[in-house]
Amino acid sequence: MGISDVIPLPVAVDKELEKWTIWGRPLTDVWFTTTEKIHEIIDMGPIKNVLNWGRKNSLWFLMQPMGCCGVEMLVFGCPHYDCDRFGIFPRATPRQVDVMIISGYITRKYLPAIKNLWEQIPEPKWVMAIGECAISGGPFYDSYNIVNDTSKFFPIDVFVPGCPPRPEKFIEGFRALQEKIKQREDKRGY
Amino acid sequence: MVLSAITEFAAQEPKIYGLIIGLVAAAILASVINVVAMLLVWLERKVMGDFQARYGPNRVGGRWGVLQLGADAVKLFTKEDVIPRGADKPVFVWAPIVAVATTMLVAGALPFGAVIIDGKEIPLVVANMDISAFYIEAALSIMAISAFMAGWSSNNKYSMLGAFRGIARMIAYEVPMGICVISVAIMAHSLNVVEIVQAQSIWFVIAQPIGFVIFAIALITDLGRMPFDQTEAEEEIIAGYNTEYSGIRFGLLYFQEYIVMLLGSILLVHLYLGGWNGPVIPVISFISPMIWFFMKLIIVLVALIWVRVSLPRFRIDQVTDLGWKILLPLSMVNLAWAVVVGLYFA
Amino acid sequence: MTTANDVLSALQSAFPGAIEEAKVDPERQLWATIKPDRIVDVCKYLRDNHNFDHYSGAAGVDRIDEGLFEVTELLASHGAHQVVALLKVKTPRDNPSVKSLTGLYWNANWYEREIWEMLGINFEGHPELYPLLLSDELMGAWPWRKDYKGYPDYNTAERAIEKVNPEGYTDYSFTPTEAEIKAGTVPFERPKYPTFREREEMEIKGESEMILHMGPQHAVVPGPFLLDILVDGERVKKAFLDVGYIHKGIEKIMENRTYTQGIPITDRLCYMAALTNNEAYCGAVERLLGIEAPERAQYIRMILEELSRIQSHFLGTAEFLTLIASAVYSPFLYMIIDREDVLSCIESVTGARINHSFVRFGGVRNDLPEGFKDMTLDTLKMIRQKTEEYKELFSSDSIYQKRMEGVGVLSPSDARRLGVSGPPLRASDTPFDMRREDPYLLYKDMDFEVITRKEGDSKARVEVRLDEILESCYIIEQCLDQIPSGPIMAEGVPKRIKPEPGEAYYRVEDHRGEMGFFVVSDGSEKPVKVKARGPVYAYFQALPPLLEGVYIADVVAIAGSMDACTSEVDR
Repeated sequence: MGISDVIPLPVAVDKELEKWTIWGRPLTDVWFTTTEKIHEIIDMGPIKNVLNWGRKNSLWFLMQPMGCCGVEMLVFGCPHYDCDRFGIFPRATPRQVDVMIISGYITRKYLPAIKNLWEQIPEPKWVMAIGECAISGGPFYDSYNIVNDTSKFFPIDVFVPGCPPRPEKFIEGFRALQEKIKQREDKRGY
Repeated sequence: MVLSAITEFAAQEPKIYGLIIGLVAAAILASVINVVAMLLVWLERKVMGDFQARYGPNRVGGRWGVLQLGADAVKLFTKEDVIPRGADKPVFVWAPIVAVATTMLVAGALPFGAVIIDGKEIPLVVANMDISAFYIEAALSIMAISAFMAGWSSNNKYSMLGAFRGIARMIAYEVPMGICVISVAIMAHSLNVVEIVQAQSIWFVIAQPIGFVIFAIALITDLGRMPFDQTEAEEEIIAGYNTEYSGIRFGLLYFQEYIVMLLGSILLVHLYLGGWNGPVIPVISFISPMIWFFMKLIIVLVALIWVRVSLPRFRIDQVTDLGWKILLPLSMVNLAWAVVVGLYFA
Repeated sequence: MTTANDVLSALQSAFPGAIEEAKVDPERQLWATIKPDRIVDVCKYLRDNHNFDHYSGAAGVDRIDEGLFEVTELLASHGAHQVVALLKVKTPRDNPSVKSLTGLYWNANWYEREIWEMLGINFEGHPELYPLLLSDELMGAWPWRKDYKGYPDYNTAERAIEKVNPEGYTDYSFTPTEAEIKAGTVPFERPKYPTFREREEMEIKGESEMILHMGPQHAVVPGPFLLDILVDGERVKKAFLDVGYIHKGIEKIMENRTYTQGIPITDRLCYMAALTNNEAYCGAVERLLGIEAPERAQYIRMILEELSRIQSHFLGTAEFLTLIASAVYSPFLYMIIDREDVLSCIESVTGARINHSFVRFGGVRNDLPEGFKDMTLDTLKMIRQKTEEYKELFSSDSIYQKRMEGVGVLSPSDARRLGVSGPPLRASDTPFDMRREDPYLLYKDMDFEVITRKEGDSKARVEVRLDEILESCYIIEQCLDQIPSGPIMAEGVPKRIKPEPGEAYYRVEDHRGEMGFFVVSDGSEKPVKVKARGPVYAYFQALPPLLEGVYIADVVAIAGSMDACTSEVDR
């Protein structure tokens, strides 16, 4: 990506800038980083630990109730369980979240929509399957309309069993995800 | 030795010296304001927790969770930056920058308290202008343009609705707000915020109670907080004008809201609650104005948070109705009152 | 007082020869088989002359042995009398077709569409036979037919083919494999219908109009459904509703389970009303079996169902508050706290927070624990006090009043016509409550009031819910006083449930309205057909007409005040 894509500059300036380098790599790479380039630069070293500390303590999740677990998801954010203690809170738009919770049955009709939601979430992102339905189809495993193998479509980091799991289990699931991020053992390798 | 070199340089090149000092002051101001805004987000989450029988953040950075916002910032600023297909790219990219820049414009003219040195009160202000009240008011309304840029360029229906709502609301409320500022200026015989503060031997909240209420409502509207957060009503239009923003750009917009909240509260304190005025505390007389100022500021901020957690949201047409049909006439009454009282005292 | 026998004799004299067989069983239910060409006339007669103004739904049954489809129309009245007419129409399995009732009853629309897409029964005269719950791939497969070979289909995920559609979004198609086409599981050639998107885009007229998609993921929705509104500025011109995003096929699944295995499935029908769903299903099967639960069991059921009603109303109101305020609105969180207390009362008996599977055929699973009475009475005292507080808060909050008053007004006649039931109907000045109307359990011995409001707007709907919480508290206190000791399971309930061949319909007052289960047995261990007539399905249908001409902000206020539950709509 050149600078002129972002700032309206003459193309000649852009071409000139592309020749400049810093630490042996083009300057524009460092300025206008994409995810891959961020990763290349900071993948090793202790700076990654700082980033992962920030990421694990600020897991915003997508407000997307789907079934019984959706109700528990709502309660999970409320006083008795209070997910805000861990820096976890729901946002309504996929652009601003880190975690997608699949909190119910994925049907044939809903699968494309939920996949698009997943693709709209900016990296780094994680996905949790909460409840039996999201893991294997649950009590509806043999329905004609249920996609019972969710892990084929999403790189699921944490499975939380239960039908529905209690809000405490939600917290446990998030703790597990935090631990995974800290240990750098999550599926997508952040 | 260094000091003497600097004074020598200042004598030789006063303009360049002034520029450098200005830049350094601006940098310090910007970073301090950002940190304070982050603390404000933290404060809001904690206070909100207290209002709602829960704890709020308490895991990151000790039992008070003070580092929570640090974690949020690290995460937001290292997240992927998505520019949606179909977005108006330059406008999309520049909107958060414009938002933060206009906020900093406000910060430049606002005094952040005062200190007493040798019995003389020195206000802590970067640019002490003659018309700073007017300037701040104008800069506050430019912010609506950044919100409109964000909403318009996102190529998203929710964002666009949020942007439209923002503009409609801004027009309806800037007028009464401006008239309130004028009323204050009439009573204080000055448009300079520092002089307005110094003129408040009686706080203007007592001298102009109607004006205070109108200004507070218009301020909440300008900040886009409950019950006036139609521009980003989560349940109606997802996240309003910043629906498509992610990563660092969203982070800027997100923190900008809180910076504006901070600056707006400071303005309210200065215009109506007597700024840093208050009896001098004997032993620590040096910073006693600062103590008064921060006490008032924190009360205003907590009150704003309190309003946020306890009121439902207006509908957009009701908001504009309130602005045009109730606040505007009332602000006229207030203006008349200010003129009469101001002339009488003069 | 009209009785079922009166209606039957009137029918027989008005339509000689049109009634093929008829019976009254139990006393308030009239079962009749009507000749297919007379069904519209019979229903019109019943509606106009005998006050059958409440169309409760329709169930399609596949009688594969007889080579027939049966469509059972459920008709009832809004309080004029308590008779339920279950009118059966038979149609041959090849080329099935019956006459549509949409001309008589507005809300027959969705029920008939559902039967059409699931069973392939054509409805003559239906205005819009488009897919409702199913995705396009399943159209033409007729999954509820007994000879549908897609069951059990373990490999759904493996068959999904990922592709990118022209707009750049990921899409999935579940293309049938060759073996499946040979087996006839999936239709090779499907009929083409205009999609939901195409149908709504036809409505865009002017330059300034656009369609705003609220869903499937949106903060307004309590589960995935698509509410599309055609807006001109901030005004809604027309609303479109697309459901089926979490259609699980519960009714088909229950056909493949034994009767007892069906109970946990009914929990998941509507997760907020698990106990009443259990009750409705078990009641229907108990009617088939001819057993009745002992008195103590009935009291336990009543106590738990009313507790469940309290928690559901709290959650419904709380969710609604997040919609007109925001997720940090304190009263919303306070309500959730109160709900947790109620939940712990329920949990002390059933052991579960949401899906209880507690009611059994002929009784309940276990007895009340020790100390339950004191605990519940304490909780109720607190709930009473809190509810009064909320009522006071809402009546004194002027912003709340401004947002709610006169928004989404349903006039009594409209509410009945659109098939609404439960709190939204009662808020429209219609005292229609199954506990009073068609008393099940021991509600006839209880002293309680049916709450109504005159206004019919969103505010009235919320007020009805809050008042019903108080009434429920009162009922529970009476139950706790009167509860006798004794067994909790009826004598002689067999381990393997095999009801005699027959049909039963049992309706209860769900937290959201009238919930009915229609169960058909053929004498085997598994039901032939289980039809769940849910309240939310009924008033979801009424949502689009309510939304015309309001502001965008009112859309959430109206949809929220209805207290929706997508899971039950989609089933």
